[in-house]
Amino acid sequence: MMKILVVDDEESIRLLYKEELEEDGFVVEVAKDGLDALKQVPLFKPDLITLDIKMPGLNGIETLKRIREMERQVLIVMCSAYGEYKQDLTTWASDAYVVKCADLTELKNTIRRLLRLL
Amino acid sequence: MSIHPDGYDLLKATIELSTSSLPIETKLERMLQSITDGFQSDRSLHLRPEAILKEGFLYRVAERRKPLWVDEETPFQEERVLAEERDLLCSSFACIPLSDETSFQGIFYIGFSKGRKFSSGEVDLLLLLAKEIGAAIRNDQLHRVAEETISELMALHEMGKVVASTLKLEELLELSLTTGRKILKAKGGVLRIEEAGTGELRVKCRIGDDHQTPLDERMAHRVYFSRTPLSLSRKGRVKPFLSFLCVPLISKDRSFGTLAFYDKESDPSRFDERDLQLLLTIANQMSCAIENAMTHHEISVMAQDHEKSMRQLSMLMELNRALLTTVNFERIVHMTLTAITIGDGLGFNRAMLFLVNDKDRVLEGTMAVGPNNAEEAGEIWSALSQRKGNPSELIAQIESSTENHSVLNSIVKGIQIPLEHDQCILSRTVLEGRPFNIGVPHDEEEWLQTRCERGCHLGSEVGCYVSEHLSRDPKIYAFATIPLWGKGKVIGVILVDNFYNRNPITEEDIRYLAMFSNQAGLAIENGMLYRNLEEVHQELKEAQTFLVHQEKMAALGELSTSIAHEIRNPLVSIGGFARRLDRTLPADASEKRYTQTIMKEVGRLEKILSHILTYTHEEAMALKELDLREVMEESLSMISEGLRNGGIQLTKEFSEEVPGVKGDNYQLKQAFFNLISNAYESMNGKGKLSIRIHPLLKNGSSFVRVEVEDTGAGIDPESLHHIFNPFYTTKDNRLGLGLPIIHKIVTFHQGQIEVNNHPGKGVTFLLTLPAQEENQR
Repeated sequence: MMKILVVDDEESIRLLYKEELEEDGFVVEVAKDGLDALKQVPLFKPDLITLDIKMPGLNGIETLKRIREMERQVLIVMCSAYGEYKQDLTTWASDAYVVKCADLTELKNTIRRLLRLL
Repeated sequence: MSIHPDGYDLLKATIELSTSSLPIETKLERMLQSITDGFQSDRSLHLRPEAILKEGFLYRVAERRKPLWVDEETPFQEERVLAEERDLLCSSFACIPLSDETSFQGIFYIGFSKGRKFSSGEVDLLLLLAKEIGAAIRNDQLHRVAEETISELMALHEMGKVVASTLKLEELLELSLTTGRKILKAKGGVLRIEEAGTGELRVKCRIGDDHQTPLDERMAHRVYFSRTPLSLSRKGRVKPFLSFLCVPLISKDRSFGTLAFYDKESDPSRFDERDLQLLLTIANQMSCAIENAMTHHEISVMAQDHEKSMRQLSMLMELNRALLTTVNFERIVHMTLTAITIGDGLGFNRAMLFLVNDKDRVLEGTMAVGPNNAEEAGEIWSALSQRKGNPSELIAQIESSTENHSVLNSIVKGIQIPLEHDQCILSRTVLEGRPFNIGVPHDEEEWLQTRCERGCHLGSEVGCYVSEHLSRDPKIYAFATIPLWGKGKVIGVILVDNFYNRNPITEEDIRYLAMFSNQAGLAIENGMLYRNLEEVHQELKEAQTFLVHQEKMAALGELSTSIAHEIRNPLVSIGGFARRLDRTLPADASEKRYTQTIMKEVGRLEKILSHILTYTHEEAMALKELDLREVMEESLSMISEGLRNGGIQLTKEFSEEVPGVKGDNYQLKQAFFNLISNAYESMNGKGKLSIRIHPLLKNGSSFVRVEVEDTGAGIDPESLHHIFNPFYTTKDNRLGLGLPIIHKIVTFHQGQIEVNNHPGKGVTFLLTLPAQEENQR
């Protein structure tokens, strides 16, 4: 069973992603911000992390850097309302970039592609 | 022997004659006749004093003042008798001197050829008769003296009236001389007055027959310098007889002229002491009057000068005031030149202004004011002379009433004179910074020398030009140039002339013109600066408008970006859960309609958000040279089948030679696509779409113009100003973000977008994009 950590400051988003992804057969944990995520990664040891960018405290870009420092192998999908960070070099350390959308098809497809489930 | 004379009758007749109004000669003749008749004497005579010669016996009788009786009893005992007196000696006679205490009127003589004896009664009677004759003569003399005195007084009175009658010097001099001549009964007269400044004696006025000899001149000078009157008479045997009276005109112990009269009209034509005294009195009277008149004359000349200066100064002030009312360059120049040409101003016929163009080192004709021809000049002058008001009002009237369309103005406006051309008087004025006054020269040759040898385009209109037809019609008239000073440098030159009335231009005119042009120069410079300022200001305003627009767009962009992001998260939740809900519902559940609606609407909102984010977020663009015709074709191919197959007729007019445009293919494609789909939508399936692409030259630069014209409803005029504003929604909701995106893309490509809107008929969008420069390829 693949494990996914959903990092987002919005509770409704966390809930939506968790339910949707669990339905698709993933083991899902959530973190409410960057620091929370950093605590959970070594414990939960996810295969993939969806990482929001704009968060209070430690933002997604900084969190991405920290996670990469401690866990090189984990797959990370940047998942933001902003499209512009796509070009930003700071996000290049992630494995994918998805602009948030109510239709989760793109996100799910990206996750499956990265986890070679397709 | 007849009857004895009746003493009483004789005496009565004599007294009657004596008191009659007969002339004295007739009176005497008749009295003597009646005495001769009464005494039956041979003759009775009145011997006038001047006829009594010295050395003769009559002289002694007169001296003794006692009558001499010679008769039979008293023989003649006088020793010396002159030959002239012999005739009087007869047998009996009497000589009675006619005299009183102060005067002597001659001797009464009565003679008898027969010897006789004078009775005592006869002696008494003769003495009485003699007294009566003496009284008659004395009365006559007194009467004559009185008459003369009266006439002299009358003359002096007349003179007094004359000198008081006028203050006009010339008139007074002539009247004085005429009146003096009348009083003195002279044949001629000359009045000399010293000239102010040089002090030389000059003939001011002459009448009648004057001598006009060098001697006369010298005598006048003698009188003038010595301040003593001169009376001269010459009995002429060889030369004609002459008499001359000359008196100095003295005021405040200083002589300032002489008054001379020549030859009395009487015979002998000589003046006597009385005349000299009379003349002195006249001269005295005249001196004061002439002095007054001269002072008055000087004062009025001074007053006139003052008035002129006053007028000029007030004109300057008025003009300055007028100049201060505006900073409009054209108006200032027009006012200045008008002031130079109107009669109440400087009064030149024409005035032309040339300004220095520092960049190109040329003088440029700026404006000219003046009539087109002599007739027009006449009309203007007569119209002006009827106008009243101060100069600034006149200037304002002229200014507002006429646009300057004169021929001269258009000639002058086309003139450019290189500043290095030192032959030209205009450029010399600027280079040397001094005025040139080419007044009317004495001969044509001199005139030609002052003219420019090269000859610019001023044509025969302007003085500094030599042309072939000058020999046919030499236009000789005064003209002058004056530099126009700005702050510390010559900014131009004013050319003035008197082309029509050919009046000379004096140094004073130039001085005044200089004074005036100094004022005008500053005003004109200010006007020029202001004009430049206005231009710059206009440019700044445009730039500012542009920047404000840009900034507004940028601000809106930022705002919309943050709003978009804030909205996106909730939308994800709403949409996401709606989907989850939807999936849990059975396919036939009526609630499925609601979840579907939520999903659809969220989808629409997300689409709008992407649009906004595309608009606000500048994605990295790949700029390369594009052929807009190809870009347009690609955009057209993106139009959905549905739209394309409707009843819309598409016309493409692409020029064969269209320069490349450096740009982003994707963005331009999107821009064109938006334009085309807007057009299709506005025509509602029916109409004509014309797309044109052609090269365009504007301000020397190359552009490509793209025109998209539809025959749709057009844009509501109220919305027109807002169509490029993002989020401005029109009633039909059609435009949305399409146009702001197009605008953004075009602006990014340094192009322009314009709209030709015809509500109800259609709209044309005109995109102008800069072409790629040849050397940039």
